[in-house]
Amino acid sequence: MLVDLIQNTLDGLALGSAYALLALGFTLIFGVLRRANLAYGPAIMLGAYAATWVHLQFHAGFLALAAVTIVGAMLAGAYVERLCFAPHGRRARSGDAAAIASMVGSFALWMQLEEIATLWLPKHLYAFPPLYDGPPLALGPFTLRLEYVAMLACAVLACFGLHRLLARTRFGLAVRAIVDQTDGARLAGINVPRVFFLVFALASALGGLAGYLIAAAHEQVTPMLGMWSTLKGMIAMMLGGLGSLPGAVVGGVALGLIESHSQWLLGPQYRDLIAYFVLFALLAARPAGLRSILTRKPTLAA
Amino acid sequence: MSAPLLEIGDLVTAYGKIEALKGVTLAVAQGSITCLLGPNGAGKTTLMMTASGILRPRHGSIRFGGQEIAGRACHDIVARGIALVPENRLVFPHMSVAENLAAGAYQRGNKAEIAADVERLYGRFPRLRERAAQPAGTLSGGEQQMLAVARALMSRPKLLLMDEPSLGLAPLVVEEIFRIIAELNRDGTTIFLVEQNAHMALKVAHHFYLIEQGRVTFSGSPGALAEDEVIRRAYLGSARG
Repeated sequence: MLVDLIQNTLDGLALGSAYALLALGFTLIFGVLRRANLAYGPAIMLGAYAATWVHLQFHAGFLALAAVTIVGAMLAGAYVERLCFAPHGRRARSGDAAAIASMVGSFALWMQLEEIATLWLPKHLYAFPPLYDGPPLALGPFTLRLEYVAMLACAVLACFGLHRLLARTRFGLAVRAIVDQTDGARLAGINVPRVFFLVFALASALGGLAGYLIAAAHEQVTPMLGMWSTLKGMIAMMLGGLGSLPGAVVGGVALGLIESHSQWLLGPQYRDLIAYFVLFALLAARPAGLRSILTRKPTLAA
Repeated sequence: MSAPLLEIGDLVTAYGKIEALKGVTLAVAQGSITCLLGPNGAGKTTLMMTASGILRPRHGSIRFGGQEIAGRACHDIVARGIALVPENRLVFPHMSVAENLAAGAYQRGNKAEIAADVERLYGRFPRLRERAAQPAGTLSGGEQQMLAVARALMSRPKLLLMDEPSLGLAPLVVEEIFRIIAELNRDGTTIFLVEQNAHMALKVAHHFYLIEQGRVTFSGSPGALAEDEVIRRAYLGSARG
């Protein structure tokens, strides 16, 4: 019993760190642009398909496949940004209409990318090479898949790197200035549309990394990966608190733990139902998410 | 009067169908303090926002140092040497005073020069040095105004636009702001100032314009205004300070 509890917590932490990576990318776009990018996941899916193609053609190693997934997601993300977000900058139209135009536009591109994946690819399900073929690591009575160790390590490294980037660099200064006071940032000479584009590329890269790790853990890619990634990223973000990067990490890990424990307690068919119920209950009680329980700062803190 | 640094010709800026500027023409001489006076809603802030690139004009020209800049992006206008101290300051409230200044130098590369400028501004605004690590949102109104001025100066502008720098400040702080304006001008910065506080503005200005309902209705030197009874009643009568 206790062994199961700890084992599920370990699995939940690993799964949650992949969700945290997805949520970091989704939150970065939402926190900086104040726009929901529904085509976030489909861009990741295209990156994963590009990696399966490279795998089938060249039998490339895992580093190359991770790089292809990340670059593919970034290219697809740039396509989404140019079409849905760049034309609806903050001053082009009144705020609300532009935000809705961007969101609906990204929904349309989600459908477009998903249709392309289903129509053009001869079979929907493609095998994705695992990171590592051997048996899982044994830690006493517990087991840990190497993919899960990689997820945890990548999530920790990505959090650390993102924090350094936002807190220490010129780019980070520009991002924080835009979040804090957009017109003030423009008056300081910051090229806001360019920073938005770079934020999009960065978010897509984080999503691509998550997408690679998830595809390698599932050992397959289907067109569903797009919707799945958008949903997991969005739910984790809302659990943690809208637009907060530490909240995204907390929300992602919480979602992973909720899923692994409810799967063990009630069976896999109830896993998502429980996750949605917890999200609903939390939003009803604490609209600002878990982060509002942990701290009082409402900002996109680095 | 030397050659104009900024020349605005027949400028029209509109919010939807409502024209806030209905063909404004004026010039700011190099090295001068030029002041724009007028009642609320006359279009003063709209003019400042258009000149700095926050708003796009519908029609007309803005020439800076002989080059057309109307409709250019804000960051491009900052790069050419215009900085705006906006109404309501628009400092970065969750960022420290030091980071606000660093953001003001965003387009500059030379770190040693930037550090020297920060040091110089801390000398001019000692309160900012005391509060260098504090979030800008925790500063008083007067301190935030100083920070907004210092942030604008971090881009090393040739022309400093200031939109109501005395708004909402205590009389002593207003005097300090105007003393700083005179000092900056003496050091070579051209200043184009929007003010409601006509009394203080006319003390420092070399030239002033009156703007009413989106049009320039008077242009002259500060001496000319005192002789003009109508304008005096309309503007000095309502002035605070």
